[in-house]
Amino acid sequence: MTAMTILTNNRTSTVTDLTDSYRRLPEVLHLLQFGDSALPIGGFSFSNGLESAIQEGIVSDAPSLREFVLTVMHQSATSDGVALLCAHRAARSRDIETLMIVDRATFERKLNEETRLMTVRMGRKLTELADAIMADPLNHEWLGRIKRAQTAGTHPVSLALVLAALGVEARDAFGAQQYGIATTILGAALRLMRLSFVDTQKILLEATGTVAPAYEKVLDAELNDMASFLPMVDILAAVHVKGHVRMFMN
Amino acid sequence: MQVHDTARELANYQNEPPQLRSGSFGKVGMVRLGFEPRPERTVLSTLHRRAPLIVQQALYWDEEMPALPCVSITSNAGGVLQGDRYLVEIEMAPKTQAHVNTQAATRIHEMDANYATQTQNLTLGADSYLEYMPFPIIPHKHSRFVQRTHISVDPTATLIYSEVLMPGRKYHKSELFQYDVFSSTVSAARPDGTSLFTEKFIIEPVLTNVSRLGAMGSFDVFGNVIVLTPKEHADRLLDAIDPAFDKAERLAIGASRLPNDAGLVFKVLGMETAPVNAAIRKFWSRVRQQVVGVPAPEKFLWA
Repeated sequence: MTAMTILTNNRTSTVTDLTDSYRRLPEVLHLLQFGDSALPIGGFSFSNGLESAIQEGIVSDAPSLREFVLTVMHQSATSDGVALLCAHRAARSRDIETLMIVDRATFERKLNEETRLMTVRMGRKLTELADAIMADPLNHEWLGRIKRAQTAGTHPVSLALVLAALGVEARDAFGAQQYGIATTILGAALRLMRLSFVDTQKILLEATGTVAPAYEKVLDAELNDMASFLPMVDILAAVHVKGHVRMFMN
Repeated sequence: MQVHDTARELANYQNEPPQLRSGSFGKVGMVRLGFEPRPERTVLSTLHRRAPLIVQQALYWDEEMPALPCVSITSNAGGVLQGDRYLVEIEMAPKTQAHVNTQAATRIHEMDANYATQTQNLTLGADSYLEYMPFPIIPHKHSRFVQRTHISVDPTATLIYSEVLMPGRKYHKSELFQYDVFSSTVSAARPDGTSLFTEKFIIEPVLTNVSRLGAMGSFDVFGNVIVLTPKEHADRLLDAIDPAFDKAERLAIGASRLPNDAGLVFKVLGMETAPVNAAIRKFWSRVRQQVVGVPAPEKFLWA
């Protein structure tokens, strides 16, 4: 730790640009496991608004898909991203009351129904999964509160709890969440559009490149700073709720 | 009122205007409206105002609701200027009804120092009904504006609050999305303090292309209507709305149920004010029909 501090000071840098060589291998593997799109928490049944965007002809090819992914990720960084960072801070200090406040604020900022459904469904499943595979008292207590309907159980809070328990840093947890948003949309795209894996992997590579700058912008943001502006996606979600042909839940 | 605003999105705009200091005399506008029931109609019983915001007497011009006091908030400043701090408070006593609007579009003038803010506090008592429907907001080039709307709503009351945001002075040198900051936060709670929802958006066209797909896309005008109403009304209203992306008309409309059974949010995207206003008017009329039992009045001949 001391060596690390000295090194970073010499480079006049902050803790946010620690190079990956300082990250322990177990942390890298935890990130791979919980950032994986195949994590069985139901992400595959959501498209983050892509399904109706395709049905309405707004997203039709790789360039429009790329734009859609980047916009949603950008807005997610300033909303769910901030929620995750606030929850991570609270989880680190084992402060369950603050976690409840973060969870409520996150839920109340989801103004469309399908997004609310997605966040609480994935949040609960992740907390259940974590409770089954690792022994963390805070996560266990959190699951109890979700089950007793004392808290909504949004996904950013669940992810922060799991990753904080595994010793993953806030920045990396933020990265895992942003990565998850990109892979959810791109995974849905492969099933909804005529695209190749090469197209989606190319978009994913560009999308992951936006995560570090996005983190720099929100690293010290607080709960009241959570904001997003996606009126088009909101309207698409409304169209989707009333749609007749649906493969995805949002 | 707090003169220095600590919002993150204003961090770069804390310099004082070379004209009147921010928040000084003439820069702090205030309107406080209180409505109370009388046997025949609701009356405007409390009126505090401070220029540049002005309110005159309530008028009863709505032929569909002759007992409805209609109040227009006007400004003698010709718009919102850098360093302005506005406060609008509307309090609806139980069993009151009112319609509050502005007289014309709110122009947020070009800025080269500081910013402007507006705080709105809306309080709705039991069985009250408020239509708060200001004219569109036009944020000029380099303007910075932060608005915070706090709503306290009884579970039996209904609020319809609409806001239309223009991209700028579209027909003045094609000024589209050239403002620095437009930030809006609307949060609602029950009278006991139980929070219901918060909608916050920050648009910073200089930093992020607002015309990206998913945000405004190719649309120019954004209409946002919040309807807080008992669940049975919200359910009926949602059933009646046909969300649509109409490419021929270049109009997109959708509504969603708010968290905690607070009501609905209705969004419209369009190219010009008129079709967006028309969609809002149609929805407004539906809300009124559902909650009060009568439609919205005919549009004025000159409007």
